[in-house]
Amino acid sequence: MITRLPERWQYRLLLWPLPILLLLCYVIPFAGIVTWSVTLPELGVDNYARLANDPSIHAVLWRTLHLCAIVGVCALLLAFLMAYCWLYSSSRWQRWVELCIFLPFFISVLVRTFGWLVALRNNGLVNSWLQDLGLIDSPLALTRNTLGVIIAMVHFMVPFAFFPLLSSMRQIDDRVLLAARGLGASRLRVFISVFLPQTLPGLLGAFIMVFVFCLGFFIIPAILGGGSTLMAAEYVFLQMFQTYNWGIGAALCVLMLVLVSGLVWLLMRFSRVERLVG
Amino acid sequence: MHRTHQQDCIELLVEKARRGQIDRRSFLKAAGMLAALPLAMRSGIGWAQDRPVIIVNWGGDAIDAYRQAWTDSFTRETGIPVRIDGSGPTEGAIRAQLASGRPSWDVVDAEPFTSLTLGREGLMRPLDFNTIERSKVNEEFATEFGVAGYLYSYVIAWDKERFDSAPQTWADFWDVERFPGKRTMYKWMNGVLEAALLADGVAVEDLYPLDVARALDKIDELRPHILAYWGSGAESQQLFLDGEVSIGQIWNTRAIVLERDTEGRVGWHYDNACVTPSSWAVLGDNPAGSEPAMRFINHALEPEGQIELLKLLGNGPSNPAAEALIPEELIELNCGSVDNLARQFKLDIEWYADHYGSVLDQFLSRTGA
Repeated sequence: MITRLPERWQYRLLLWPLPILLLLCYVIPFAGIVTWSVTLPELGVDNYARLANDPSIHAVLWRTLHLCAIVGVCALLLAFLMAYCWLYSSSRWQRWVELCIFLPFFISVLVRTFGWLVALRNNGLVNSWLQDLGLIDSPLALTRNTLGVIIAMVHFMVPFAFFPLLSSMRQIDDRVLLAARGLGASRLRVFISVFLPQTLPGLLGAFIMVFVFCLGFFIIPAILGGGSTLMAAEYVFLQMFQTYNWGIGAALCVLMLVLVSGLVWLLMRFSRVERLVG
Repeated sequence: MHRTHQQDCIELLVEKARRGQIDRRSFLKAAGMLAALPLAMRSGIGWAQDRPVIIVNWGGDAIDAYRQAWTDSFTRETGIPVRIDGSGPTEGAIRAQLASGRPSWDVVDAEPFTSLTLGREGLMRPLDFNTIERSKVNEEFATEFGVAGYLYSYVIAWDKERFDSAPQTWADFWDVERFPGKRTMYKWMNGVLEAALLADGVAVEDLYPLDVARALDKIDELRPHILAYWGSGAESQQLFLDGEVSIGQIWNTRAIVLERDTEGRVGWHYDNACVTPSSWAVLGDNPAGSEPAMRFINHALEPEGQIELLKLLGNGPSNPAAEALIPEELIELNCGSVDNLARQFKLDIEWYADHYGSVLDQFLSRTGA
């Protein structure tokens, strides 16, 4: 049967399982969420009106966006340094960088979160070292607040920023850099005027990927946030399970999806995605 | 319509089986004697006894403890198997079960205001007080839709190494001069607004309806001193074990464990604590049917099982008859004893049933960073 189909159809057939899976497991359930958002508790756009007007929801959204942006910038900075270091160092150092990226990558996020709690809490490793060294008198508030959430999220996100950045750095032609040097530019000048601009698509892409990923974080803020860093994902959970406002929870999901879609559109528009993963 | 006697016998039998008055073996035997097996097989009776009753609680140690205190003995006595699911019967989770059209849960160990809210909407089965002896619990701990399986309490616990005197009242809890150090309170609000109002000078009898705005303002006052709002019992315990907080509003069950594990470094008492019942409730259209579920609840109100639970987890028996039977070393720990009840105030379930969702939203937006 199949062999009688024209060849291009055969290849298309191979592509079908994924869209079908997405349709069944994602699109159809999401249509249900959209329906909830306009029918619960009654038909209408009340839930969206509340999203627009309720200051407590604004606080959650603002906190989420703000935190994700900070995490995005910090993760980008670290990943940039590491990718740069990988690119221009001996293979021995490259192994070290790889180890630093891969090792945490394979440890469950839950384990890492509790690990951070042990390290950062008031009488945790970091604070007791600093106190023993006489650098501080009283413990720093490193966790059970927004700072703790940011530290753990940055740690989680660095690999996700590292790979797109590395791939865009590797596509830079060394001869261009050499030519710039040859024309008399200082090392710093070459970096700022020639190297950095060429990594911009990678930077933008990595930032958006990290940002989008962060929007849905649940475990890290719930554990390291000290009960006072309520982010969008936990807020949705709260509305679904604790207070039973499925309508408002669903509306928030729809809003987040619109936001993420917008960001992904930006990503596709301004950087070539295939180059970020190449 | 004409019926033979035999047909009538079968009908009676089927009816009895449907009501759960005879078990499957007797039914099949009788049907066999009536030479009516094929008919009996088609009768469409769901053999509730073969299907386990699903009891839903909050997981952790409570799964084994419930088994030891209640479900093993229930299965021994009635032959009805039980399965415990620890996924947490929050209001939303129960609604999700019911919205699916085919709930898989039978009996839930819910918050009393949850069972009341859902019951009033017709989503829970009204409890069958022919099967459940209502006299087994205090009047105030039973509603039409939920009956207390045990009592627990939000108590003041403190680290004795931080200060010499014991904080007695919620005003002490707010007094950071006399009782310095970080605090922790419950993330999902129960008892926190009450504590704030009591600290602000409201009398216990005037607490409800809660003055939410005033309570939130009072909580703002303490904000710089609150290290964390705990979301799970284990978290509250860890905060004290690590010496991160010097005083906290935590469950009595965790306070008991803490006092034992720290060899008395953490102290606590029932003075001014907030006592609240759990609530056994049954989902409407639950798969095992009404009767086994009601029988389980009645079984779980027996003093023996409740005392066992007190031993295992520290939850206070809801059946006043248990008090006389409690071993001496546990008497002090029982938050449901007449003496201890007199030292605590009761969470107003009616108020929570009417206001929980909307006020929790306000609370969380104020406690948020």
